[in-house]
Amino acid sequence: MAQTRLGRNENISGWAFIAPAMVLLGIFMIWPILWSLWMSFQTGRGMNMSFGGLSNIIRLTEDPIFVKALGNTLTFLAIQVPIMIMMALIFAVMLNSPRLRFRGLFRTAIFLPAVTSLVAYSILFKSLFSTDGFVNASLIALGLSERGVNWMGDPFYAKIVIITAITWRWTGYNMIFYLAALQNIDKSIYEAARIDGIPAHAQFFKITVPMLKPVILFTTIMSTIGTLQLFDEVQNITLGGPANATLTLSQYIYNLTFRFMPSFGYAATVSYVIVVLVAILSFVQFYVARDRK
Amino acid sequence: MTNTALLKRATTLGLGASLLAMTSAFAGDLNVWAWDPNFNGAAMNKAAEIYKADHPEFNLTFNAFSREEVEQKLQTQLASGTIDGLPDIVLIEDYSAQKFLLSFPGAFEPLTNAFDYTQFADYKVALATVGSETYSVPFDSGVTGWFYRSDILGEAGYSAADLENITWDRFIEIAKDVAAKTGKPMLSLDINDPGMFVILLQSTGHWFFDENGELDIVGNEAFKAALADYTEILQAKEIYKPVSGWAEYTGAFTGGDVAAALTGVWITGTIKAADMPGQWAVAPIPRVDGVEGATNASNLGGSSWYLLTSSQNKDEAKAFFNDVWASNIDFYQDILVGQGAVGSLLASREGAAYQSNDDYFGGQAVWQDFSNWLGQIPGVDYGIFTYEVRSAIATQLPALADGADLDEAIEKIEAEARVLTQ
Repeated sequence: MAQTRLGRNENISGWAFIAPAMVLLGIFMIWPILWSLWMSFQTGRGMNMSFGGLSNIIRLTEDPIFVKALGNTLTFLAIQVPIMIMMALIFAVMLNSPRLRFRGLFRTAIFLPAVTSLVAYSILFKSLFSTDGFVNASLIALGLSERGVNWMGDPFYAKIVIITAITWRWTGYNMIFYLAALQNIDKSIYEAARIDGIPAHAQFFKITVPMLKPVILFTTIMSTIGTLQLFDEVQNITLGGPANATLTLSQYIYNLTFRFMPSFGYAATVSYVIVVLVAILSFVQFYVARDRK
Repeated sequence: MTNTALLKRATTLGLGASLLAMTSAFAGDLNVWAWDPNFNGAAMNKAAEIYKADHPEFNLTFNAFSREEVEQKLQTQLASGTIDGLPDIVLIEDYSAQKFLLSFPGAFEPLTNAFDYTQFADYKVALATVGSETYSVPFDSGVTGWFYRSDILGEAGYSAADLENITWDRFIEIAKDVAAKTGKPMLSLDINDPGMFVILLQSTGHWFFDENGELDIVGNEAFKAALADYTEILQAKEIYKPVSGWAEYTGAFTGGDVAAALTGVWITGTIKAADMPGQWAVAPIPRVDGVEGATNASNLGGSSWYLLTSSQNKDEAKAFFNDVWASNIDFYQDILVGQGAVGSLLASREGAAYQSNDDYFGGQAVWQDFSNWLGQIPGVDYGIFTYEVRSAIATQLPALADGADLDEAIEKIEAEARVLTQ
């Protein structure tokens, strides 16, 4: 179809308007992405880099720390995300009930952790779970433990601390999405269900959850990405220890770049592993949650 | 825009720029990055104070971070290539010196001709030498000692003579006995920090690498013996208090929860800050049994000052180093008594403070002792990957504490270290 002159003018001014944003995006996003891809094929110590072909990928396959970090990250993902999503959903439904008193107070209390700084709350958890910390003092006072638990020195308990911390921080954040989505469910659906004598738990599973499916999908993907990028908490609470039991991929990238002899090329390779993982997991989640026709 | 307006603007800009240049080039403003304000900070400030007496315009700002932060900030900034915000002088631990000098060629100012390096202890100079250039102002030694509470060990029936020239097996026996009699564990121990194992290893005269810089872990008998001894300590859970992080580690002995600290002499400042005069004493460290050449002396840490090439005040800094750090013997006496800083300037060992007794340590001639032990430390070449291998060791320690097989653990350490040292 032949373009009118007006249409062409609109097109030009449209491109002109988005040009500054595109240029900035190009310089600060697309260029670094391409540059890091190029870097992932380079090897060397510090600033002395040279082209290494696939040697970084070979190094990846032989690296026990990478496997450990990947395993930890996936463990956090598999345990923490479902717990958090379910808790957030249950809290949202409970706090949505019109019969509950002081709803505003509870909503604020559960959402409040989401506004705290990541580093500040991590340090708080570190002190809560330290050898002489509040948690151990409580356990001893209640007679549940004799010497207290060595939270930071035991690979298993250290993982528990990290999972507890991120669940505390992010449950309220996800709950807000569900609360907002719940307002959009037509009340007449629940009325009809009540008239038909559907029990509350069936209403939850057969009405609430299906109606919230797009939001649940969204929060699951966001939490998955967030967990794959987990850094602040482990860096501040356990520093990846003990025995790398809480080391995450992001932290390993940091260590490779800033803590150990800098291997920028290999660190870039590991970061592309995260990119691939996010892509695969997002695709799987979309596939599982697709509308079956 | 008319020409005059352009000219005006150019003049303002030029004036602004020269003003800026003036403030930044104002004689002798030196920025220092280091860790431990009670130790490194106190020593550096003392040095600045001495230099300032003759150079009133001199000004030095000490910025305190943790050791990891200093290294990571420096590494990040040198890698990014921007020099804004870099300090003039930075403290680098001996273990990391070669890593920085080799990874960032040109970032540090060679000081080979700035002063006479023969006045300093040889091993400190060697650690900061690449090719024919030396880059550091050698600072403190990390000679180790067994700092113990003489009152607690006395209560359990041990005198200073009982602690001398013993093995680690005997150490564990004593620690168990003290714990049983007084209820106090001997040590505080952070399982994530293999610093104490490093003390054991260096006391045998061996390290993670052979003379060619290649990994030497599997088949290194000294490494195995030291790790076996350290594992025994880890498994004797009643003799240590598990802690996490440096603050908890020092808090345990300054707060009186544990009876001793087995570490570098630089901990003296922290121990003195606890204000328990007469309750402390120092013994030599135990020895790794069954290794030829193993001694009762070792080293942990120790660091040196480095001048960055990007500094605007290099000449001032060199003059400052030369006037105080490379020649002032009284300065070294001050920081020895005040902070326990055993400097590397050889002539300072002849000073009065090194001969004196210290009332904080019950009148013991501690500095004489440390000087003697310093002479017995077996020298090792730290290479460029000490922290990478330490991290690989830390990974296996919890499993060893739970009774994992020693040879298997050593193989895993080597496998992990191999990847990290590529």
